[in-house]
Amino acid sequence: MRRYLASAIYALGAAIGVLVLLYPLLGPLSPGISLGESQPWSTPLLTAGMLGLSVLALLLEAQGQTLSAKAIAMLGVLVALTSVLRFIEVAMPLPGGFSPIFAVIIIAGHVFGARFGFLMGTFSLLTSAVITGGVGPWLPFQMFAAGWVGLTSGWVRCKGRGWERYALYGLGAIWGFLYGIVINLYFWPIAMAPQEQAWDRGLGLGEMLGRYATFYAATSLAWDVARAVGNVALLAILAAPMAKVLLRFRQRFRFEVADG
Amino acid sequence: MADARAMLVWALTTLLAASYSRNPLHSLLLLLVVWCVYASGASRAKGERLPFGLAGFALVAVPFGAVLNGLTSHVGATLLFRVPAWVPLLGGDVTLEALVFGAINGLNLAIVFGGFAAFNRALSARDVLHLTPKAFKESGVVIAIAMSFVPQAVRNLQRIREAQAVRGHRVEGLRDWLPIVTPLLVGALERALALAEAMVARGYATVGKRDLQSRVHVLLAAGLLALLSGWLCYLLLPQARTASMVVLAAGLVLLGASLYLAGHSVEHTVYRRWAWTVGDTAVVLGCLVTLVVLVWRRSVLDYSPYPQLAWPRFDAMVGLALMALLAPVLYLAIGGRRPAEAKDSRTHGVAGGS
Repeated sequence: MRRYLASAIYALGAAIGVLVLLYPLLGPLSPGISLGESQPWSTPLLTAGMLGLSVLALLLEAQGQTLSAKAIAMLGVLVALTSVLRFIEVAMPLPGGFSPIFAVIIIAGHVFGARFGFLMGTFSLLTSAVITGGVGPWLPFQMFAAGWVGLTSGWVRCKGRGWERYALYGLGAIWGFLYGIVINLYFWPIAMAPQEQAWDRGLGLGEMLGRYATFYAATSLAWDVARAVGNVALLAILAAPMAKVLLRFRQRFRFEVADG
Repeated sequence: MADARAMLVWALTTLLAASYSRNPLHSLLLLLVVWCVYASGASRAKGERLPFGLAGFALVAVPFGAVLNGLTSHVGATLLFRVPAWVPLLGGDVTLEALVFGAINGLNLAIVFGGFAAFNRALSARDVLHLTPKAFKESGVVIAIAMSFVPQAVRNLQRIREAQAVRGHRVEGLRDWLPIVTPLLVGALERALALAEAMVARGYATVGKRDLQSRVHVLLAAGLLALLSGWLCYLLLPQARTASMVVLAAGLVLLGASLYLAGHSVEHTVYRRWAWTVGDTAVVLGCLVTLVVLVWRRSVLDYSPYPQLAWPRFDAMVGLALMALLAPVLYLAIGGRRPAEAKDSRTHGVAGGS
């Protein structure tokens, strides 16, 4: 029963997250979206709140299932490492959207499983935002996307280590783009963009997608290419040695206290 | 500076005020108020430079918004000049109204940025950590461990880099980071192992093995289902707006109940308790006054420069209400806050110690 409930919570949380992120594209289908001139921020604020609630619910479920004392210690230390990496990234801007944290989240999620990966992603973004002063309405979107980076890396299972490595590289490349696409979506309707790239409620779904693709290509593609290439390069260098170390410690962390 | 909870309410109020005001005069006043709070947060730290960051952001965002909208939105009665039609994307009339509309967008963006910049500047990381609800005890411990470990990780990184440099290792490409990252990771995990052993030895494991109660799971699932249904109704059935808001509210209540249940059995530990002061109440009351007046005088917040530019009307009542958001500055001016004595600091388990 508990397992089904947990699955239901994940499915509902994911559905809310995806729906909230895709709301600009639902414009033609949904007369309820109000992005008029008088209150252009009201719907994006509502979506940020919805996504924040969805992340909180998923966190509550995941922490209850996953976080033993050992996992807490491991997660705390790994989140600290990614926060240091994010701090370096903020202090010394890297090319485009290249960020070293995604490779670490992917490797940790792959070694320790999907739930751990989800927590690793969300906590990494949350902690680094607190440390670097990056708390804002954008944070739920970043946490949700980074959580899903870790969650999906836990799902990568292939026969043969070689294939698995290439699958992780592929995942790093996909999330390099997908992270940007997801983060852009929530502010696209209120972004100041040329008419050919601007959100317009009256458009059909196909034209809306076309405009978003143009907007994305003009504003973010080059940025995200750097992130995707950086993810693949870092995974190519770090994945094997880091996974080896993490697997060794995963064994050591299985200690139990004998009764009596 | 004020309590973290009070400052969060303040930041959210500025966000709402910025989202509802299209009147540039009110928005300018709000930006000034936000800048004052932002500057007062900086003045706490000795030797910190004057905070021109927010002003710099506004000085970029407002002209950028104006120029971008002016060049791409060819609507409005007051023609300034005409970009030849053969210029891709930009060809057409450039009007004063489009420039003003873009500038208002930039102004509101600067307020949103400034509100959270002031929040981040006013509070330390530990103050923000105090906002963690009791239901997220485990998450709070993870973040506390991470924040405690960050300075040590930075020191270790420096030490490893120096040790590798002494051995002739030079960082020239991505691959050269491997001999630095691997020992850093191993050292961190050794420390995590020692910490885990200490936590298990002190009995934390028995708490950590506790699964969420079934009731919490049921409430969570029901709350998410209500939120999803309410959101779908909100989007697809505008005629059923009231019903969708009721379902959304029910979802909020169910999620709140699950958080309450999950946190109910957790006893919170603090080393030094921050007392909620009269000043904090004043900050929250200031926010409430602002919100009430903004809702009450909603009609004067609307302003559009289209089709022909007209001077916006300044409403004195709204202006005074926005000034109420200066409460954190006044609070700091009359002495700021200090931690109360550690009365009633009950100690329970590892959570407070780590």
